[in-house]
Amino acid sequence: MPSKLESIKKSIWVFHLNTGSCNACDIEILDALTPFHDAERFGVKLVGTPRHADAILLTGPTTLEALPKVINAIEASPRPRILIALGSCGSSGGIWHDTYSTIGGVNSLLKILKERGVDVDAIYYIPGCPVRPEAVLYAIALIKGIVEKRVKSVVLNAE
Amino acid sequence: MLMDRNHIIQEYISLAKSLNGNVTIDNDTLHIIIPKESLVEIADKLFNKYQCDFRTCIGVDERPVNGYFSMTYVFTDNRNSLYLLIKTYIDSLNPSTPSIMKVVPAVDWCEMEARDLLGIEFTDREQYKLVLPPGWPDNVYPLRKEVPYNYRPLLRGTSEKISPSTELGVIPIGPYHPALHEPEYFELYVEGERVIDVKYRGFHVHRGIEKLAETRMTYQQVNFLAERICGICGFEHSTCYALAVEKAAKLDVPERAQYIRSIILEVERIHSHLLWLGVAFHVVGYDAGFMHMWRIREKIMYLAELLTGSRKTYGINLIGGVRKDINEDKKQKTLETLRELEKEFRELIEIAINVPQVKKRLSGTGLLPKEDAVKFSVEGPVARASGVNKDARRDQPYAAYKYTSFKVPVYTEGDNMARALVRINEIFESISIIEQLLDKIPRGPIMLEDFDIPEGKIGVQVVEAPRGGDVHFVITGHGKPYRWRVRAPTYNNIPALKIMLKDQPLADAPLTIASIDPCFSCTDRILVIRENGKREWLRITTGV
Repeated sequence: MPSKLESIKKSIWVFHLNTGSCNACDIEILDALTPFHDAERFGVKLVGTPRHADAILLTGPTTLEALPKVINAIEASPRPRILIALGSCGSSGGIWHDTYSTIGGVNSLLKILKERGVDVDAIYYIPGCPVRPEAVLYAIALIKGIVEKRVKSVVLNAE
Repeated sequence: MLMDRNHIIQEYISLAKSLNGNVTIDNDTLHIIIPKESLVEIADKLFNKYQCDFRTCIGVDERPVNGYFSMTYVFTDNRNSLYLLIKTYIDSLNPSTPSIMKVVPAVDWCEMEARDLLGIEFTDREQYKLVLPPGWPDNVYPLRKEVPYNYRPLLRGTSEKISPSTELGVIPIGPYHPALHEPEYFELYVEGERVIDVKYRGFHVHRGIEKLAETRMTYQQVNFLAERICGICGFEHSTCYALAVEKAAKLDVPERAQYIRSIILEVERIHSHLLWLGVAFHVVGYDAGFMHMWRIREKIMYLAELLTGSRKTYGINLIGGVRKDINEDKKQKTLETLRELEKEFRELIEIAINVPQVKKRLSGTGLLPKEDAVKFSVEGPVARASGVNKDARRDQPYAAYKYTSFKVPVYTEGDNMARALVRINEIFESISIIEQLLDKIPRGPIMLEDFDIPEGKIGVQVVEAPRGGDVHFVITGHGKPYRWRVRAPTYNNIPALKIMLKDQPLADAPLTIASIDPCFSCTDRILVIRENGKREWLRITTGV
């Protein structure tokens, strides 16, 4: 990861932004923070405002209703700006990728952010429907550099 | 009892006949087709005279079949386990029908939803936009059959102005708020520390599920889509859908499958109530209670994984049965886990509910009197805490509940404490229900092989989810549902928040909002948008 992310490696404060998910991922995030999995031992904490956040957690395909508020929240977060796309819907739009009231996945959101001139420094994807708390822990370890990334990313995009 | 039931059916039939209605009886469902002029009268009689429970209303685009739109109002007679579907046809060139809101206040949202999604106008009431996002083009109604499911207007969502100026203090809560884990927006009008009015804008999670099911999916795929309506009570939704289709197609599902469904439904109720108790303790600032509730909840999550192979959105329901059986080993492990859980929960909750700060914050706050609970047709623990004795597991027995005995806890206080106590009692009842079901589970197949689903049949089913009754309404079609309508319990409970929040201290507002255990992803599933970039505020209700 780029060196500018070094500064946040101690404890990651996260702002949870539900962009229209079904709750399953949201509940698993809380689950990862409570005693059984205890992600707080890695210094992860949910914060009440994007202005205090190191990373923004996006769950769900971004719905048209939530879109303006999502953009405002991301704009309000300080640099370096990390997005974490959670679950099938967050990563790709999932089953809703082409329905009438969503924009479909984080890729479309990134395009809109680019049009607005909002820069994103890094983006992580956590797959699963819903994600397991173990996957959330793994992602935290990956961001903090405790574990090595084990899959190679290949970008397949028709455009 | 049987005499009574036949007698009341005859009464409904003569009531419908006197208003030029046409009645067909199909098992426990009365299909009443009525001219639209008589709609208000029959709704008034059913709701106010016979005290039927209003569940929801459904707009259907039947133009490809018979050239009309239709509205169907679902009432249930809980004492006699009857469903009453009042249907009226609406001319397709000028779709307009009288509103029944004056006699049934709870109809407010579902009529506006039909207006947004199908373009049916309602007379004799105030109309406003409900579900579609701001900027949605006029004259595009997503649930009309000619609109493709992937029609996507180019909306780049400009931020809306938050508040109209007013002399009162306005406190916005949401759409992203640390106490709420889903996007929804409440605007509280305060005078000093007291809340005097509330406005609500939700529908941030409208993803177009119903349209998707009617276009891109097949019958069996919709089960898995139904689970994605909500990540907490997903299994209730898929069971409800499967039961509605099975009812429409008159399928006889193996008993063992029904038992397994009931067992998983109760597992889900336990985990949902533990989750709610945790969140409630968190909101009142008792974080130790929150952490402990979630710690023991983890046992139930592992139990769910053992029984179904998945921690959430379980994926074992199909039309005609279930995909995973419960063997002797799983049965023993389940019983063992439940014993441990019951012991730990009993110990913990006795301490937690008696902590002075918890007791004080919960008692006497968020009052909902019984008359209002009836008027808004509230559901689940919210209704049972206000003295309304209804529970679909007992009143409209489905799956294997008729083979079990359980108590339905009812409290009359109507405050947040009563809502907490209802849920605590239900956890103990659920544990006992699972033990009874595991004891009695019959041998046999778990899946119905080889069946047909005829076209044009109607099935409606109520399933008691942790938050109240889910209603699924299905019209069968060719290879997929022709129309599928979902009504989640939060849909009926949110309008009652206006009563609960009024004249209460501002500090109790987040707790009271949490006390209905809101589930916005269920409620919002059909959202749509509004015009000219101007957002009109959604009134929680008018005429209160």
